[in-house]
Amino acid sequence: MSRRGAPLDWALGAWGIAFLAVLYLPIALVLAYSFNRNVVNMMVWEGFTLDWYRSIFGLATRLAEDASYVHSTEGLVHAARNSVVVALAATAVSTVVGTATALAMARHRFRLRPLYQALLVMPMVMPDIVLGVALLVFFVGAGMTLGLGTIVMGHCVFLASYVFVVVSARLAGMGADLEEASADLGAGPWTTFRRVTLPQVAPGVAGGALLAFIISMDDLVITYFIAGVESTTLPVFIYGMLRRGMKPEINAIAMLLLAFSFVIAATGLWLRARRR
Amino acid sequence: MSGALSARRRRALAGLLAPHSLLLAAFFVVPLAIMAVYSVLTPGLYGGVEWEFYPYGYGRVLGAPLGEVEEFDPVYGEILLRSLRLALTTVVVTLLLCYPAAFWVSRLPPRRRALVLFLVTLPFFANLIVRVYAWMLILRPTGVLNQLLGLAGLPAADLMFSETAVVIGLCYVLLPFMFLPLYAAVERLDPALVQASRDLGAGALFTFRRVILPLTAPGILGGCILVFIPAFGNFVVASLLGGAKVMLVGNLIEQQFLAARNWPFGAALAMLLLAAVLVLLVVYVVRTPHPEGVR
Repeated sequence: MSRRGAPLDWALGAWGIAFLAVLYLPIALVLAYSFNRNVVNMMVWEGFTLDWYRSIFGLATRLAEDASYVHSTEGLVHAARNSVVVALAATAVSTVVGTATALAMARHRFRLRPLYQALLVMPMVMPDIVLGVALLVFFVGAGMTLGLGTIVMGHCVFLASYVFVVVSARLAGMGADLEEASADLGAGPWTTFRRVTLPQVAPGVAGGALLAFIISMDDLVITYFIAGVESTTLPVFIYGMLRRGMKPEINAIAMLLLAFSFVIAATGLWLRARRR
Repeated sequence: MSGALSARRRRALAGLLAPHSLLLAAFFVVPLAIMAVYSVLTPGLYGGVEWEFYPYGYGRVLGAPLGEVEEFDPVYGEILLRSLRLALTTVVVTLLLCYPAAFWVSRLPPRRRALVLFLVTLPFFANLIVRVYAWMLILRPTGVLNQLLGLAGLPAADLMFSETAVVIGLCYVLLPFMFLPLYAAVERLDPALVQASRDLGAGALFTFRRVILPLTAPGILGGCILVFIPAFGNFVVASLLGGAKVMLVGNLIEQQFLAARNWPFGAALAMLLLAAVLVLLVVYVVRTPHPEGVR
């Protein structure tokens, strides 16, 4: 860089560091408070403890007893289990569906293709509340009981689009040369798909599945509208807790949730960087 | 590929597209169509609808009530305007925060750039509710902000349950949506063009206005739209950081469906929201050049 740009570089650097700080300081705060021993006022630091984490897992702790918040643990575990079940089922379905669509769109041209493509991205870009209330109206109108089943169906609608986008990006970078070579050498379409296309596209599929899993675990708005009374997921459960008031154990729950999504996201991003 | 599809390829295409088409038809197109129909029906006495044409849902918002039964209530217009105002503020703030940051990242050495990009992307995957919660900790009356202000000997700021709190929350949650399209545009910016402008005697400000800004405009437009849409329809941030004081159109929709049980009115509001979003998306698609084969 020329000397003329030096003060600008310095200013940009300071701005960039501040930008990262804005992104991470709020999260770091929650982490710090999740170790706070103060039962009466969670905002005042009193000392380090792991008791909030213990109380989430239903272990008896001095703090949790003093604070008498333990009753929510059962609901929490139930909600967490629901979240994982929904995310696994919705990820499995949407990964297959979205991958098939990506393969079709990458290798075939047809007349309504641009229109179809617009339809595919709509569930991702429209405000989630619109999809949430539309699904609520639909499920109730169709006489279906709101529960884990309706949540899985609702999640598949937008997760399949995310998988489609991720796998499409992978396919766009692949080119059709190897597939054509395989066909020229006499392999049938199925063999070509299984031995040539699938191994090449696999990292994209894995990335799409990880993304779908995280988004499903994270979804609050759509789930909020189409979850039945007995089928609360983790984000909906925490949302309910927050609306009733703030309790110290929320810090610990939030941190566990954060650690969980960060590990999965980091795995996905790392996979993508490595394969490039 | 040339000519008509062979029968075999057509079968393969149909087979591959069938699952997604069924999924979208059953759980996307049909629900939206039902909602469109509901939005012009009479609200049922105990929730649900009665099959009688009744466009009051739209009339109440847009100022065309059908006379005797109901009157036009400007409060809904106010809620829409407030949602619009807060969403636009969010767009401007995130743009101002992210634009310099995008230049910073694009000028880092490659290894460090990859790390920083990873760090910027990571919060995007953090649970939304956790990220909003973090700001509840900061902004509540006994929160971190006021503790810091107290330490500095400054008067406490009562930000919780205000429009400012909602905008802060929206900005924080939507920051990655602005950063990533901006960064993609800034990274493509050819430094040689900037250098050429300077060499030809243009000042820094002139170069920015006539070279850098136009060349990064697609990224700016993309980021603005990607931030505006979720900000405009958001109800979680407003309900947690704005409480009952800051009602946005998302909260109004939620209320109509889950509390007031006036489904047609809620459906009409959702349709208006969807219409606004569709207009924006069309603008975006029309204004963005799409090279063939690039998605």
